[in-house]
Amino acid sequence: MRADGYAPIREYAAIGDGRTTALVASDGSIDWLCLPDVDSPSVFAAILDAERGGRFALAPEVPFEDERRYLPGTNVLETTFRTADGAVRVTDAMTLPLAGIAPVREVARRVEGLSGSVPLAWSVEPRFQYGTQAARLGRRNGLAVADAGATAVAVRAWAAGQTGGADLGDGSIVGRIDVRDGDRALLALSAAHQEPLVFGSRDEVEQRLDGTIAFWRKWTEKREYDGPWKDDVLRSALALKLLVYSPSGAIAAAPTTSLPETLGGERNWDYRFAWIRDSAFTLEALLDLGCPAEAHAFFWWLMHASQLTHPRLQVLYQLDGGNRAPEQELPLEGYRGSRPVRIGNGAVDQRQLDIYGDLFQAVWVYVERGNDIDREAGARLAATAGLVCDVWREPDRGLWEVRSGPVHFVQSKMMCWIALDRAARLAERGQLPREHAARWRREAEAVRDFVEEQGFSEAKGSYVRFAGSEELDASLLLGSLMGYCDGDDPRMAGTIDAIRQELGHGPYVHRYTGEDGLEGREGAFLCCSFWLVEALARAGRPDEAAELMESLLELANDVGLYAEEIDPLTGEFLGNFPQGLTHLGLVSAAVAYARAGGG
Amino acid sequence: MIWGALAGGFAGTLVLTTTLRAASELHLTRMDIPFLLGTVLTENRVRAKAIGYGLHFVFGVVFAVGYWAIFTAIDERGWWIGAIFGLGHGLFGATALVNVLLPLVHPRMATPLTAAGSTPLLEPPGFLMLNYGRSTPVVTLVSHVAYGAIVGGFIALAG
Repeated sequence: MRADGYAPIREYAAIGDGRTTALVASDGSIDWLCLPDVDSPSVFAAILDAERGGRFALAPEVPFEDERRYLPGTNVLETTFRTADGAVRVTDAMTLPLAGIAPVREVARRVEGLSGSVPLAWSVEPRFQYGTQAARLGRRNGLAVADAGATAVAVRAWAAGQTGGADLGDGSIVGRIDVRDGDRALLALSAAHQEPLVFGSRDEVEQRLDGTIAFWRKWTEKREYDGPWKDDVLRSALALKLLVYSPSGAIAAAPTTSLPETLGGERNWDYRFAWIRDSAFTLEALLDLGCPAEAHAFFWWLMHASQLTHPRLQVLYQLDGGNRAPEQELPLEGYRGSRPVRIGNGAVDQRQLDIYGDLFQAVWVYVERGNDIDREAGARLAATAGLVCDVWREPDRGLWEVRSGPVHFVQSKMMCWIALDRAARLAERGQLPREHAARWRREAEAVRDFVEEQGFSEAKGSYVRFAGSEELDASLLLGSLMGYCDGDDPRMAGTIDAIRQELGHGPYVHRYTGEDGLEGREGAFLCCSFWLVEALARAGRPDEAAELMESLLELANDVGLYAEEIDPLTGEFLGNFPQGLTHLGLVSAAVAYARAGGG
Repeated sequence: MIWGALAGGFAGTLVLTTTLRAASELHLTRMDIPFLLGTVLTENRVRAKAIGYGLHFVFGVVFAVGYWAIFTAIDERGWWIGAIFGLGHGLFGATALVNVLLPLVHPRMATPLTAAGSTPLLEPPGFLMLNYGRSTPVVTLVSHVAYGAIVGGFIALAG
């Protein structure tokens, strides 16, 4: 049900091809698509501006009910529309280049009549450059095309054995199809960037669509996870695979920008970058799921990208490894009026000390699983460990990228300890040069002393958000997850209880108490809930972990996807979607629960 | 000297190709000559671009030899007359060569007579190759003038 032209975020599903991702609403409208890559400007952005953003709509012309699912083991979406007079099934996919001269990107939408007769209308409203560049509509040998600058799209419709069927409307390409029981129709949107368009034949598009379904099924069959909540874990694996930027192996935090953390608020960020913060989780999840190719690609992307700013790390990098992310605002209305709509991300310039721990934990996991790092990368990592020794005493903005002033975030210090401890252990194994290992150990002990003396509240029986405060922060659970302390350490047990009590609300967990330099309040952060599941499992409390996990799995949308946040009062999804960190948290929690003897 | 034409053809095509690529990166045109040429021979995108680059250089050198033959016939040479030839060459390319002749010989490109069938089709360039972007004619002419000037200059230098 749309409000002011906007579908609830919960009603979207994602399709993608390893380069970009489209969001399809349950009413059949593709409201988000960037071309040619996920971090390129949008062609469809109705999710950020219902009037000017552009979309690819496909729906019955009469009242309908919809039901949908992913085809099992795939990222191919199947939506069934039921009307008073019949039913049709729409299969949506971004195809892979498997047959013929494939277009640079292609969205295929197969329509099948299931019963009776259903009149379908479709319209493609391309709005290039986030809706700021006027499209030039025209025909090439009878085929409808639209272009602007370096990007062009062509639309083809094959219905009941006929080709063409696309009319040029006012800024849109439109058509309609009467679908009867047994009819098959096909719509294809092919895109070109910096080259001429490719117009595929119907046979080729059908072949690519079938080949894409087969590819995804085969990919899923190869995954090795066989523990509890297997279906949910595999759906998360498929969602994460959508976020993998194939050319580099980087994983986008989400394929969208500026879906709000607060409706109508200013907490709207561009997540189409790869965060160092997610690296340890990402690598471990990929290895746990049996995705060695993706894990190796991600690890070496990490080594490559961090080389640019060596020995310092940036909070985030472009998906191709670049280190620029200048933030700017777009003249779009924003999702349900949530302004500003931002591209780029100002957090790139922040100092966040926790990321050093994430980097070294990722390297540690990589080596622990039987891999080696080369001497050059080892030398660079040693220099980075030296930097951590120099800077850990300084305040930072913390994992949550607060826009208030820097303080001594305790979770950041814990991650500095992880960085130095892992560096020393890697040196012991001959993966890093050994000459500075003694210094790393000495500084690691100093970090631990700081955390234990100034980062723990005897009154609360919990670690605290920043040194000397009494505020709480769900990211402190990462102390257990990343190995700062044992899962059943008494101080961590107290922290788990305090977080449940002060930040929890049923299955929901808020990020922190206290200020962050931004107006408005946000929803509950879903990854924090999954971290809590994992912390409970590691603390030897499997029953509580399983109970919480079951509650969280019920919060996914109808196709098993999660956003970044959820409104505890309404259950509405908030923030960018689908969110990699949430799905990483789900996978990590399930694996930890299984390892702890659950399931 | 024909060696001047051969060297000029190579250098001129290098500059022409680089100019077109730069214009593409600047989002001025979607024209991609190597892609268009290579897909005459193969459906494989990567192979098509590699073959296309090779063919473009061969054509560049062949055209330069043609320039040299005409220069010899009219007993005139120099970068300026090369530039004029390049202008004519660019106009010919944008109107007849790519717009009319390439679709006729390209097995995967639509012509005005083509109905959408089972063969994969490339977007046709249209008059002045405007289908590939409004700036395409300007980019084409500028790059061909540069090509002609370089070829003319090399031929003059070689005596």
